[in-house]
Amino acid sequence: MSNRLFAAFSGLMIVAMILSACAPAATPVPPTQPPAQPTAKPAEPTKAPEPTKPPAPTATPAPTAIPKPKVVRIAFPQEPDNLNPYYSNMWFAAILNALYINTSLLEYNDKAEAIPNVAKEIPTAANGGISADGKTITFKLRDDVKWSDGTPLTADDFVFTWQMVMSDKNAVVTRDPYDVAVDKVEAKDKTTLVVTFKEPYAPWQAKVFQNVSAGSGALPKHILEPVFTKDGTIDKAEWNRKPTVGFGPFVFKEWQSGSSITFVANPNYYKGKPKVDQIFIKIVPDDAAQIAALKAGDSDIGTFISYEDMADLEKLGTLDLVKTPSGYQESWIMNLSTNSKTAGHPALQDVNVRKALVMAVDRDKIVKDLLEGRTKVSATFWEGTPYANPDEKPLKYDPEGAKKLLDAAGWTVGKDGIREKTIGGKVVKLKLRYATTTREVRKNVQAIVQQMWKAVGVDAELINHQSDLFFASYADKGPIALGQYDIQEFSTNPNFPDPDIARWLCKEIPSDANPTGVNDQGLCDKDLDALFAKQTVTVDAAARTKIFWDIGKMLNDKVYWNSMWDDPDWYATSKKLVNLKLSGGTPFWNAVEWDLKQ
Amino acid sequence: MGRYIIRRLLQAMPLLFIISVIIFVLTTQMGDPLSMFGGGRRALRSEDRIRLTRQLGLDKPLYMQYVIWLAGNDWMPIDADADGKQDVDENGKLVYGTRKGALRGDFGTSFATRQPVMDMIKERLPNTLLLMLTAEVVIIISSLVIGLVSALKQYSVFDHTVTALSFIGFSMPIPLLALGLIYIFAVYFKRWGLPYLPTGGMYDPQVGQSWQQTLWHMVLPVTALSVITVAGYSRFIRGSMLEVISQDYIRTAKAKGLADRRIVFIHALKNAALPIVTIIGLDLPFLLAGAVVTESIFAWPGMGRLFYDHTTRSDFPVLMGIMMIISVAVVVFQLITDLTYTFLDPRIRYD
Repeated sequence: MSNRLFAAFSGLMIVAMILSACAPAATPVPPTQPPAQPTAKPAEPTKAPEPTKPPAPTATPAPTAIPKPKVVRIAFPQEPDNLNPYYSNMWFAAILNALYINTSLLEYNDKAEAIPNVAKEIPTAANGGISADGKTITFKLRDDVKWSDGTPLTADDFVFTWQMVMSDKNAVVTRDPYDVAVDKVEAKDKTTLVVTFKEPYAPWQAKVFQNVSAGSGALPKHILEPVFTKDGTIDKAEWNRKPTVGFGPFVFKEWQSGSSITFVANPNYYKGKPKVDQIFIKIVPDDAAQIAALKAGDSDIGTFISYEDMADLEKLGTLDLVKTPSGYQESWIMNLSTNSKTAGHPALQDVNVRKALVMAVDRDKIVKDLLEGRTKVSATFWEGTPYANPDEKPLKYDPEGAKKLLDAAGWTVGKDGIREKTIGGKVVKLKLRYATTTREVRKNVQAIVQQMWKAVGVDAELINHQSDLFFASYADKGPIALGQYDIQEFSTNPNFPDPDIARWLCKEIPSDANPTGVNDQGLCDKDLDALFAKQTVTVDAAARTKIFWDIGKMLNDKVYWNSMWDDPDWYATSKKLVNLKLSGGTPFWNAVEWDLKQ
Repeated sequence: MGRYIIRRLLQAMPLLFIISVIIFVLTTQMGDPLSMFGGGRRALRSEDRIRLTRQLGLDKPLYMQYVIWLAGNDWMPIDADADGKQDVDENGKLVYGTRKGALRGDFGTSFATRQPVMDMIKERLPNTLLLMLTAEVVIIISSLVIGLVSALKQYSVFDHTVTALSFIGFSMPIPLLALGLIYIFAVYFKRWGLPYLPTGGMYDPQVGQSWQQTLWHMVLPVTALSVITVAGYSRFIRGSMLEVISQDYIRTAKAKGLADRRIVFIHALKNAALPIVTIIGLDLPFLLAGAVVTESIFAWPGMGRLFYDHTTRSDFPVLMGIMMIISVAVVVFQLITDLTYTFLDPRIRYD
């Protein structure tokens, strides 16, 4: 590049930047809008009605003041990045979808059950919604649903949305499941949506046009199609920042970057007009600020409340602590690998030893002492969802029974009080390497378990790693993936609210050939594999639930998985805010019923 | 003078070019923006990762990414579907990119929000300028007053007190100061039933946005921003004033019987101001950057928080935009500082 050309380029750049940098400086004060609700603050005694004035005979009686608008305020420690659900993967963006773009076909209630939303009913084989080969699902949509501007919401909106997601011109966050599982999406008529899959696809309820994570139901075709035609992409559509036309109990009103997002009641929502007038999301710098806002009464809903803060918040008397299933389970993962390189302690191959190790630990006491008894030991991995087998119970604390089981398995108490067994002519001690992260509560659990095991003659070596190292993959030489320990403790989850999980599949065992495998337990059970294979193609929800009950029973019978405790999401909610039914999948699904006691 | 300005501006161009290359290399190596797309609980699937890498242009070699950042891609055919062939539209014409490049004022779009970086900055810059300019005015006025008084009344009680206080102030970390102010004036004052100040934000949502609200919300952050800087500046002013008033020409002026005020403000201060102007000139461009810590603690929606939020997401188009604006501002304010010298000291000439 010659010097002159170079200088010319740079000159342009400077001018451009100076202009753009200085332009807004001319108006340093953002345009002030009239107050959203010109109500007096409660702490202004001067505005009180004049009590000293004698009532004038002809004066009208006490003015029937306009009722104060009901505003639900929620402090968010993270600011959503994008209000187009297909462009954000943030939890704090996804939970808002139920307020202003609640177009999902189904939604999840507070029992983690899927219930119809824009779809009139849940398609089943019985009602003709699912084809015989399981590859075609037909959704009958409600015919009384309208966008907030009055335009009807139809099957065409869904087809358009699918086209937008799959278009190479749009850089959406995820195409899951439309690229891997869906063949085509068609509108038979205004209210009939037909989704054809490549193979029978069991997780459709939580995945197809859902509101659970990245993505949602339909986007407004009548707003976004002209943008796509004009710009060739909807990446930069104004609607993504200002979704003023939506579908839900509330309508987007304003987003002050870095400060707040405001939603106002939508009188035309198909479930009726919401009881509160406004939802105000206040962006706060961090979790500490969120807790401060809750304590000051400036926030009506707090998210991800940690156990350390709970007692303090409860003491105020103005807040309730509410938990919803999150899919996460604090688990004991035993190393059951049979590969000599990654194998754990040989005793763990015996189901009775595994059982004894669990029976020797008083998990209820751990939950009571370390987590203030706020949660409980789970019976199955799918605790709190319809997929949890209602007949299953957690193993009871029974140290005597544990001793008997260990004796019967040939692990007898040695001179030093630790059990041992002669395997292949060598004396093997029952000493287990128990690893977890550096989180304080887990370290405390380790110490308690070590004590309780000692009482039945089992020794434990306690190991802690920083979590990034602890959870590293096989390729990155993560210790769990390499099978370096006997028992690991951490929190893990299925594809919540879908129950599927790849953790126990034989083909997921990490190895040189499969360095990204997620079966760090090294477990390979053909019967279990067969059940998991069956559920992935069982499209009918009821039949699939039954299979998960069988899986849950098998995991318990063979002691492949053990709960330390159920690890739900915790919310703190104002006692003034009533009718709140937070759900794990779509937390704000019943926002239309929320009410604020004044 | 005109020629001098032009020469300085021309010199700045290669400098800014080198700065932009260095910042670009550093920010792009800072982290993986795609790993932050899993802001939810699920990591990005590998299918989406590959597609987004391509769609966001992260698959291109670094020098190409820089060229596109600098000069845009509306002059080159693109391949959005990655089939190895350049895309054509329905009429068989080649499809070109849409980015204009930084040279034409397009800093690209944020990975996180998909908004043009310039729009994001325009949204936040007024807030930052409002806060920082107010703080700067407070800083300059109070440090001038404090510095002058303690220089003219050297070793008085006032001087000793201010000296002690400024050492405390100067060594105070800003987070401690900010949180302390919140604790006293917002939390405790509220508890004691006194009129209290808000903890953060630009206005009370229950009241709505108005200039009174904004002013009320500015009190604490401006105080937090000012205290430390005032402590430093007032020491500078005191020092250079002391140096000047012991000079012969001040004694001469006094001997000639000039009024004290005239001596202090015209003869002494103007000459003592040179080092102070240098420091203020160096500080001014960083006003645009906002104050990361202060803005975070007081939830002030300015540039500092924008920078922080997008640093954690490795959103380098936004970081590049902010840092280039600061770089340009540094160059411009340096020039302005140098020009101020000619006014303050007629012996300095640039032609």
